Amino acid sequence: MSIAKVGRCIEASGVSKVYGAGTAAAVEAVSSVSFTVPHGQFVAILGPSGCGKSTLLMMVGGLEPVSSGNIIVNGEPMTGPRTSIGIMFQDPTLLPWKSALDNVLFPVRVLKRSIDDYREAARDLLHQVGLHGFEHKRPHELSGGMRQRVAICRTLVYDPEVLLMDEPFSALDAISRDEMNELLLDLWQQFTKTALFVTHSIREAVLLADRVLVMTKRPATIVENLAVPFARPRSMALGESREFNEICRHLRECIEESHSRSRALRARTTAWRREPAT
Amino acid sequence: MAARAGNVSVEIPAAAPPGSVPAIGPSLRWARPIILPIATAAATLLLWQFAAVRLRIPAVILPTPIEIAHELWRALPVLIEQAGPTALDTLMAFAAASALGVGLAVVIAYSPLLRDTLYPNLVFFQLVPKVALAPLFVIWLGFGSPSRVAFATFISFFPVVIAAAVGFAGTDPAALQLCRSLTASEWRCFLLVRFPFALPAIFSGFKVAMTMAVIGVIIGEFISSQAGLGHYILNAGSRLDTADVFAALGVLCALGVGLYGAVALAEFGIRRVYGRH
Repeated sequence: MSIAKVGRCIEASGVSKVYGAGTAAAVEAVSSVSFTVPHGQFVAILGPSGCGKSTLLMMVGGLEPVSSGNIIVNGEPMTGPRTSIGIMFQDPTLLPWKSALDNVLFPVRVLKRSIDDYREAARDLLHQVGLHGFEHKRPHELSGGMRQRVAICRTLVYDPEVLLMDEPFSALDAISRDEMNELLLDLWQQFTKTALFVTHSIREAVLLADRVLVMTKRPATIVENLAVPFARPRSMALGESREFNEICRHLRECIEESHSRSRALRARTTAWRREPAT
Repeated sequence: MAARAGNVSVEIPAAAPPGSVPAIGPSLRWARPIILPIATAAATLLLWQFAAVRLRIPAVILPTPIEIAHELWRALPVLIEQAGPTALDTLMAFAAASALGVGLAVVIAYSPLLRDTLYPNLVFFQLVPKVALAPLFVIWLGFGSPSRVAFATFISFFPVVIAAAVGFAGTDPAALQLCRSLTASEWRCFLLVRFPFALPAIFSGFKVAMTMAVIGVIIGEFISSQAGLGHYILNAGSRLDTADVFAALGVLCALGVGLYGAVALAEFGIRRVYGRH
């Protein structure tokens, strides 16, 4: 289809997630989050570990039910997983008994489509991410970065419209991580899809995304929605520019501010709790 | 100093321990895991032969390996005939135990209620000396083959269900989530992810089950039977024909190894099939 879709692809309004609702140990993992992602945009959700950003992503992917609010993807409310949404997890989660090529073809097999129709596409993808010659290697014969590349190919092979990525490079070392960012930038030039990318790396978010949403721990909600002004195609050299570093500093301040606010709030709460004893 | 350093480096090969094991040529290194156990077994048989002759141990107490070999050769047609019913009962028991064990493990994997109800009892039963229950099966099912098969099934079922339940529970949860995110049904996730993940565990259960099934059938034959290797051994023992007992034991060993090997071969085949797609 050559005509680009316009308008909103993902719409989340007032989305909350409460674990153990109704009990004394109830935890609000996500608290009334609202945002939209237009078609073809790459949006990063940036936040510290445990701020509920992965939970939010799983709700968008239909793998976790929402406690309240609603999520609409391509005009239809999410009730469960969909084939038009591809999810990339924190770990590559390759099947250890399958070769790299067969792992890439795994979604095709699950979706009961013809493997033969996709074999060439899978080979091309592996070639593109620099895994030519590794098609028949098992996961244990590949490095961490290579496994994550296979996982990227696996997510792209059946051509989902929307990509959800849950800190896909957080388990990698710094050098492999840079390589993967570069690779993702390259791939993005060709497969412009709508993407939601969860990360705790400020630089990764600014480098990859068109827009960055900052999520904080307490409350677990979005406190900043920042458009990243850099044109594409982007390169890793972007990270050296002054404007890039200024944006990073602004985002860091956002996170720190909310942290000190939550610390102050906690201190007040403990003081209040002590009061009845006096 | 330089000269002394040179001397030291020259002395190292000369200082190799004089009593060290002679090195096997590199071309024979692959044969090492085969040669060593066979050599040990051969040495034991030699020692046995030598000791039995030298110490004049009566043949009724301990026949020599050569006497046993003669007896084995003489009785082989009968022994092979007797191995038939034993093998058949064992295979039936193994098949029943495998199907029941994996089936119950699937139920346990998908129902937390049944897992909490059944699993502790299964582990408890695993610890009970089940062999002591063999006479009960004769009371319930009579003297025929069904009581032996049922008893062998009973004792070989536990290792399968426990190994398979552990295997299913140990499936990578992220892989299951990946499968679910691709809108696969629970059954398809089981077939494509859970089952292949559990295969090594299931087969380790099968291997134990096969040896347990042989033991169960032999015990059953000891208690009541008109045929089979257990019956043959009991008969030879009552005639004090010790060499005949050993000959039957030899055939029984071969049967056990063959059945175990068949399970190992099936595992090899199935894992290859899963690896290819």
